[in-house]
Amino acid sequence: MKIDIIKEVSTIIPFKNTRFTSILIILFIIALIAPYVAPPFLTYILLTFFCYVPIVIGFNLLLGYTGLLSFGHGLFVAIGMYTSVYLMRNYGVTSIEIMLILAATLSALAGFGVGLLCIRYVRIFFAMLTLAFSMVFYSFLLKFYWLTGGDEGLGIYTRPALLGMKFDTLYIMDFLTKVYYYYVLAIMVILLIFMYRITTSHFGICLRAVKENPRKADESGLNVKKYRLYAFVISAIYTGIGGALLVQVTRHVVPAITYWTYSGEIVFMTLLGGFNYFTGPIIGAFVYIVLRDLIMSLTIYWRVILGVALLLIVIFVPGGLMGGAKSLSKLIIKKRESYEFS
Amino acid sequence: MSLAELQNVKKYFGDVHAVDDVSLKINENEQISLIGPNGAGKTTLINIFAGTIKLNSGKIIFMGKDITHLPPYKRCELGLARSFQLPAIYPNLTVYDSVRASIISKLKKGKRFYSSVDLDDEVNKMTKEVLELFELYNKRDMLAIKLPHGDKKLLDVACAFALWPKLILLDEPTSGVSTIEKRKVMEKILSVSKEMGIKSFIIVEHDMDIVFSYSNRIIVMYEGKVLADGKPEKIKENAEVVRILLGKVK
Amino acid sequence: MFTLDAIIGILFNGIFYGSILFLIAAGLQLIFGVQRILNLACGSFYALGVYTGVTFIEFFMGIGLPHIYFIIALIIAGLILGFIGPIIERGILKPIYAREMEFQLLATFALVLIFEDVIRFVWGIYPKISKVSPVIYGELRIGATILPIYYIFVIVISLTIALFMGFMIKKTKLGKTLRAISDNREMSAALGVNVNKFYLLSFTIGTIMGTIGGSLMAPVTAAWLGLGVEIIVYAFAVVVIGGLGSMIGAFIGAMIVGVFKGLAIAIYPELEVLIIYAVVIAILIMKPSGLFGRIEE
Repeated sequence: MKIDIIKEVSTIIPFKNTRFTSILIILFIIALIAPYVAPPFLTYILLTFFCYVPIVIGFNLLLGYTGLLSFGHGLFVAIGMYTSVYLMRNYGVTSIEIMLILAATLSALAGFGVGLLCIRYVRIFFAMLTLAFSMVFYSFLLKFYWLTGGDEGLGIYTRPALLGMKFDTLYIMDFLTKVYYYYVLAIMVILLIFMYRITTSHFGICLRAVKENPRKADESGLNVKKYRLYAFVISAIYTGIGGALLVQVTRHVVPAITYWTYSGEIVFMTLLGGFNYFTGPIIGAFVYIVLRDLIMSLTIYWRVILGVALLLIVIFVPGGLMGGAKSLSKLIIKKRESYEFS
Repeated sequence: MSLAELQNVKKYFGDVHAVDDVSLKINENEQISLIGPNGAGKTTLINIFAGTIKLNSGKIIFMGKDITHLPPYKRCELGLARSFQLPAIYPNLTVYDSVRASIISKLKKGKRFYSSVDLDDEVNKMTKEVLELFELYNKRDMLAIKLPHGDKKLLDVACAFALWPKLILLDEPTSGVSTIEKRKVMEKILSVSKEMGIKSFIIVEHDMDIVFSYSNRIIVMYEGKVLADGKPEKIKENAEVVRILLGKVK
Repeated sequence: MFTLDAIIGILFNGIFYGSILFLIAAGLQLIFGVQRILNLACGSFYALGVYTGVTFIEFFMGIGLPHIYFIIALIIAGLILGFIGPIIERGILKPIYAREMEFQLLATFALVLIFEDVIRFVWGIYPKISKVSPVIYGELRIGATILPIYYIFVIVISLTIALFMGFMIKKTKLGKTLRAISDNREMSAALGVNVNKFYLLSFTIGTIMGTIGGSLMAPVTAAWLGLGVEIIVYAFAVVVIGGLGSMIGAFIGAMIVGVFKGLAIAIYPELEVLIIYAVVIAILIMKPSGLFGRIEE
């Protein structure tokens, strides 16, 4: 039994690959000590990034592993956010666990409903249909302003209780960067492990088969639509949880989250990092969020800089940052080898 | 007992009668060669059988069940597998994962969301067995798209065999392979099927030598109809078949 | 429920708005039909058109051009703006024609971001309102409804372009070549068609349709930063309803969306997008290829 546990763990942390394992450990230590060594605004950015991790890996289960490009994933982020805000404002719920569970449940239900209709299509039609659903939700949010605050959105002015503990005496920035930070970090790690296991599970292999060649997968006894639907629902759950975590950081939710440009940002992060890699979207989200905050503080013309960066990536590094790094390291190894031989 | 039955199957593409009123009975332990000139409707018949395309009229029975309107994956669950003429592969999956997908499908383990497939001894043992039989095991970590053409075809066939089907439909498994290699590929397929206990298959084939030496029943199609059907020796004696097929080939 | 006047008003406004939408959607369709790229930046072309139109009107008022020529000035503004088409096609799209559709979509998304800031840089963040209103050419009164003559001009221009596009695609050699490229890029190239040249051409025409659509809208709408991403929402609805890649589809789709928009504004303005996208979802579910499109893998 003991050996089995080690085996199970080794599927997540590849001990044999010492370099990779040590990078993981170093990153984890940095994340742990960051609130005490880095200035608060950096910790705040890091916290925002942690909240985006479930969103982008959830999104990438669909794009990278199922081959479906959703241009309406903001819908599920918004469901997570509005659920939390609504519970806090209207029902006085403080327990963040209840918010997360309800956000996940509602996202799953919405994901099931929307997915059922969307998975009948692929490629451009899938992208357009998901966009359409997101836009409907957008106008719904605008229209029922007495429920949703309309264009202005809704703010939250209370603090959630983490694992039943209240932190009402702390300054909000201290609460976020010293307490909530670790909570999100823990949830992010758990969600990462789950997602990694999903992508390397029996289901994960079948999902990739469906992506690579749906016709062959069908003829091999795999129910293509069912696999796509499962992926869609899991993806929606992850995105919804991400939204519920994020709204505690932004303290405010607006309908613009469901607008197609916000969904475009999620796509952007994922492609920036490289959707063919498990870690790609995570790196993409990190670079995007840091860059955006950095550039935003320097100039109001941050969109043009991001746009040009995006163009350069699309044209010159189609594999994203991860793909670029891989081919670069290959190039270096080749060079080194050629030196050794010469 | 008959394994499968096609009853008055018809498929029209506009005015072209690709498959025109074909009725067949397929029994267990039959190694059938489906032959005929180009455009005779062989591939269309295979596609209809596997559910890749829909038929206009007729009925298909497999394992005692009416499968006429079942989608391909359900036919596959009943024990019907196929390979494609242009090799169908999963381009960016490794050889190993391609076969594993079939094995997982066969074992109905596709809904295991949270179990590491690398730790599943049953899946990995079966995958290794199939890959070794097809001599693809030492290429297991290659991406399918990077394989040479012959290996792609073999991988396609291996994926079909990995489903351990009751009946397997092979659409020109040797096309695009050199004449010398053809015999090797056929022998490989036959020895593997013996090894794995898969006794019944239908092969679409062009090479007459291969057809006559590797099958115990031959179905000749011509212009969408079954022209002749029987043991190889009988087919050889059929003057009309000889005129249409062998006359053109030799 | 409605008086006849109200219905006429709704229809008229709807058809006017549909005419503008048609221009943008037709540009989208042309580019999608020929290059197989869904151009998210078509909305940005429209926004640029509106801003340039406002500036042109200001300029020509300054030099004392008679009002009667303003519509011509607006069309010229749209045509001149077309110069960005070839630059984008050669510089950005050409290197990625062989790429997956996801990347092409992303490239046009990048253009949306860039153009938004270009507008911010050139025209500032505050909305611009044109110095002439759509009533410069007078009004038509039908009962209690007031219809600006300018709207009629725009409808006529749009119809002319629609007819011309239809004629070009169906009857001329150019149209046949474009259709051939749309059907089979490799085959056309193998038959000696200079595919590159036609890509450049179709993208430029597509761009101009968007910019003219925008400049004609200049007297009607305020120019603000969100114009580009907003119009996409409608243009998308048009192409989904009409069918991707179909010109007739773009026309019918634009009219449907235009009239629905007019209707929603008359009854309940907040419902606008909701109603239109309810139609979109209904169409996608019942006939995913749209009214006039064909589905393809």
